Formats: sequence, C-alpha cells, structure tokens
Amino acid sequence: MSTPIVTVDDLRIRFLTQDKRETVKAVDGVSFSVDPGETFGVIGESGSGKSTLGRAVVCLLKPSEGRVLHGETDPYMLSSAELRQRRRAFQIIFQDPNAALNPRMRIIDSIREPLDIIGGTSRAERDRRAREMLDRVGLPAEFGARYPHELSGGQKQRINIARVLTVRPSLIVCDEVVAALDVSIRADILNLFADLQREFGLTYLFITHDLGVVSHVSSRIAVMYLGRFMELGPAEALARRPFHPYTEALMSAEPIPLPSSMRETRRIILQGEIPSPTNPPSGCRFRTRCPAAADRCSAEEPAWREMEPGHFAACHFAGTVTTRLP
Amino acid sequence: MAGAEPLLSVSGLGVFFGGGPDEVQATKDIDFAVYPGERVGIVGESGCGKTVTGLALLGLLPPATTRIVGSAMFEGQNLIGLSRDRLRRVRGRKISMIFQEPMSALDPVFTIGQQIGETIRTHFGASKAQARERAIDALASVGIPSPARVHDSYPHQLSGGMRQRAMIAIALVCEPRLLIADEPTTALDVTIQAQIIDLLLDLSTRNGTALLFITHDLGVIAETCTRMLTMYAGQVVEDAMVDDALVRPLHPYTSGLLRSLPRLSERGTVLPSIAGRVPTLRDMPTGCRFAERCAHRQVGCDQAQSIARIDATHRVRCHRHADFVLPGALTEREAAA
Repeated sequence: MSTPIVTVDDLRIRFLTQDKRETVKAVDGVSFSVDPGETFGVIGESGSGKSTLGRAVVCLLKPSEGRVLHGETDPYMLSSAELRQRRRAFQIIFQDPNAALNPRMRIIDSIREPLDIIGGTSRAERDRRAREMLDRVGLPAEFGARYPHELSGGQKQRINIARVLTVRPSLIVCDEVVAALDVSIRADILNLFADLQREFGLTYLFITHDLGVVSHVSSRIAVMYLGRFMELGPAEALARRPFHPYTEALMSAEPIPLPSSMRETRRIILQGEIPSPTNPPSGCRFRTRCPAAADRCSAEEPAWREMEPGHFAACHFAGTVTTRLP
Repeated sequence: MAGAEPLLSVSGLGVFFGGGPDEVQATKDIDFAVYPGERVGIVGESGCGKTVTGLALLGLLPPATTRIVGSAMFEGQNLIGLSRDRLRRVRGRKISMIFQEPMSALDPVFTIGQQIGETIRTHFGASKAQARERAIDALASVGIPSPARVHDSYPHQLSGGMRQRAMIAIALVCEPRLLIADEPTTALDVTIQAQIIDLLLDLSTRNGTALLFITHDLGVIAETCTRMLTMYAGQVVEDAMVDDALVRPLHPYTSGLLRSLPRLSERGTVLPSIAGRVPTLRDMPTGCRFAERCAHRQVGCDQAQSIARIDATHRVRCHRHADFVLPGALTEREAAA
C-alpha cells in the first residue's frame, strides 16, 4: 500500500459563536485517509461540517485538535514559506462558480493568476500554460479575452478547474462543484473531472449533498452528520447495503425518477432537522431523528466498528436493525 | 380527467421582453391545461422559460418592459390582461405561488403571523383576532411545531425548511384552487425536501388543490406529479403523463435530460450529456429550437415544429417522433423487467 496522500487523524474544528458564549463543534473527531488517485466522497446535509472538513484538508482552516497530514508531513510544522510551497499541491474548487472569479479580470488573467503569484517563470511561459489549461477544460482560446459575466455557469466552473490545474495539484477538494449546474451540464463537468483524473493522476475529495453524484464518482464514501462520520465504506457496498440508519434514510429520501409502479413506496421520512452543533445530543448524535433509537443511544456514544473489510459504521445496532418496514 | 372542465387553460401564451426594436421573445406558443386537483410538472434547463410562464400567469412580470400575448383561462376569466384590481382578487385567493428562496420571498421586517394575517384579512376581511387564530391553524396544518411561537417569529429566526413551510402556509391559507410552486425544494437538504414533498402531496390531495410544479429535478417530478411538460428554449416540447415520459419519452430533449442522470450510468463510466447549450433569445433558430444539440437531426428539422398530438394524453414537438424509440429514465435491466 502506498502512503496516503492525506491522513486526517481525530480532527476537531471549533468556532466561537458571534457572542463568544458558545462553541460550534463543526468537525468533532473525524479520522480517515485518502489514497493517491482515488475519489473519496463525503456526503451530508447542510450543517454536517463537510465543507469545514474540506477546508481543513487544504489548510484553509487550522485544526483545533487532531492533525491533517499531507503525505507524511504535518503542514503546520513547516515554516510559512514551506507551507505556501506545499499547499500548491492541495487545491479546492467551490460551489458557486461566480463567487470564485473576479468580475473585473479577463478569463485568461484569472487562470494565470496562481502562476503569477508563484512566480519563477516568464510571462510568456505563464500565458502559454494558462492557454493550455483553457484548452484542456474544453473552452476555445477566444474565451480568454472575455469577462466572467459573458460566460454560463458551466463555463465558469470550467475556468475554475483550469485555474487550479495551472499549479499541477495532486489533490483537489471539490466542494459541491456541480450543485449549481443544470443536469446535462453537470454530466459534462463530471465527465471532465474523470478525464482530468486519468490524465493528471489527480486525487479528489468530493464533497456533495447529492447521492447520485457521489455514488457515480467515488470509490469510497463517508457519510457525515453533525461533525462526525456515521459510516464509511466502498461506494457500491454502501449503496447496496448501508449499515447506518442515517445512510439508509438519506438514500430513501433521494427522489428517483422512476414510474410510480417501479418506485419503492416505503420511504423513511426523517422527522425534524439537524440539531445545533453548539450542543450535539448525548450518546449517538443522530438519535434525535433516528427511527430506530433506543435507550442505549442517548447513554453511550456508538463505537466506530468495522462491519465488513473497509466498511465502518458508528451505530450500536449497525447491521442488526433496519428502519425500513418489511 | 376526461370530461371535466380544465381549471386553467393556457393557449398561445408568449412573453416578450424589452419592447421596441430590441424586443426579444422569451416564450412562444405555450399551450397546456391543468385540471382540478391535477399535479402538473414543468421541467427544463435554466433559461427555458419555466419561471417566466409561472410569473406571466399571475401578472407578476414588470408591465413596463413585458408584453404578453395569448390567453390563460381560469374559472371563466382570462388572466392575461386582467385589470390589477381583479388580478389581486385572484392572486393569493384562487391561485398562489411559492418560490425557491423563502428568505427573499418573505418580508424580513414583519413576523410570519403578520404576513399570513395580511392575506387572510385582505381576502376575507377577518378581524385581527380571527386572523391570528386562522394563521396559527394554517401553520399547524403545514406541520410546524409550536405554531403560536412561529406566528410571532421573524423569518430570520427560522430554518430554511421552516421558512418554506411558512411560505406554504401563507400560500394555502385561502385554500386556492391552484398552487404554482417554483423550485420550492431546490434550496433544501434532501431529508427536508422529502418532508416538503410529502406535505405538498398531502395538502393537494386533502384540499383538492391543483399543483403546477416548476423544477429541474426529474426525481421530484416523478414523486410529485402525474403529468409533465418539458420546456425547451421557451416552448413546450413534450406534454405527457409522467410515467409515460419516464419510460418512453418522445422528444429527444426529454430523453437527453433523463439519460444524463448519474443513476443510469455505471460508476466511473462517461455520463451521457446534451452537447451545447440553450440558444440565446436573440439568436433563436427559425426551425426546431433543439436541432443544434440533437443527435437525431436531419432534413426537415430546419422547419418550425408544431406540437403534434399522439394520443389523448401525449403531445410532442418533433416531426421525427415516429422514427425512433428513445430511452427514458430506466436502466437496461429495469426496462427489460
């Protein structure tokens, strides 16, 4: 086994609320590692801490406790110059393709900007490389002279991809990168991500709330709820036989475009909403919405158990109960 | 539905923006009907005219820059060109609309209760006390826990899911005959979306409210509606029962939308997509508007397409519809079963 490209070890990230009276535990004890060349999917509702996790992986947020290793290195043990150097290999793309582009900069200048910041190459060489990436993401050269407002959402997202590719990253955190796009455009962008992965040997941490998307692109999937992983396993196994009631509920909530005669009629509709991360429930943090919750769930935090090789779940009753009626 | 009179009958509806020599046409020849209690979905990519159609029906487009042709008959009166006064008696009373972003549709400086109360008092002339009582009932009926507390809350104090419930309560408090829902669940998490869909289905069945559901999510349509209209570049290109359209779509665009969903492709394989993009309003082709992106284009596609009736419940705007069998939303295995 090669060294993981990223290792996250009991990561905790806390923020103070605005009045400084309470602490938001956005990520509250998460451990996993990502192998080179794989696509690791993270799925969860808003407020589950998945974006915070993504930001911590690329050193945009410093762990309150625990560690994030890049390869075997702890980036926070490096000098700031070394950290800046190393961070290049770990890039992030965000959901809103508009917000990430400066409206007053021409497209080609936006793509070249990371190289300008790094420096060390001639302007001609940087321009050449920016044009190459523009071409690589499937946009004609004349787009370079345009401004963001002249482009569609899908085209802007291609620009954001071209932009991170200029610095030759090894890992890209994709934070809801297709959520704002129409379904057919979404398919194009997902295909582009797959092509680039093959061509550049990229590793992805793919954060999304869309089960269809995450199952299509990922080799492994982690299900996050209120700052912790509920389940982690190979994509197919997790979709075929989820061990955690939350995973099962998420999957059954997904609306499927099938004729009425072919749809499963028994959906699990979770009651209520995700609780506040300032004060997560005792024991299992999913218990307040869990259809299978028992007394033990409020008293005791479930252990992270390996149910099948490489397939983990944090539920006292993992594999023994199903929330779905027979 | 056969035999019954349609609740809403839209015919030749077209919306123009801009005016003068720069005028552009956003939607063209929109024809469809919604029967009492029926749930109809409108699907299509952004910019296809779904929202514009909903807004046009309620007279919510800016009159200074909009010209609307055609008719929309609702309970014996044409909504298009109705005076502001008469429109106000329809809006919120007979037809309501809910939007994608409840935060921007609710007024931030009034409590939820004041906003529901306004609707009740406008349409029924109820007293303040009566309005309060009725508003709290309405909030309870959309599954809001502690409705009295929410009644006195401001929108920012509620979560996204609760705000959407409050919006639905406002829209349905007058028991309208038709609810136009424009992407009401798009901004919500999938577990909350499931709750809202459940609620809308329940309310529509219980009160016989017809639903015009605008969304780009075909899964949501399948779970909510019985009939769907596919819109492309300002036109209705297919009108079919949802189950028929999912199994055997007749328009290449409907088929393309269904095929690009990730669930149909094996993990890691290339997803089918529809190359190109929707033509801009200034650049609308005179022939079939989808031709440029269509894999089945041939002679005749450069002619303007009329919508053809295939049977009692299926219409399609493609002269080649009889030439091919297009795949729908089923995997090969599902289609064989």
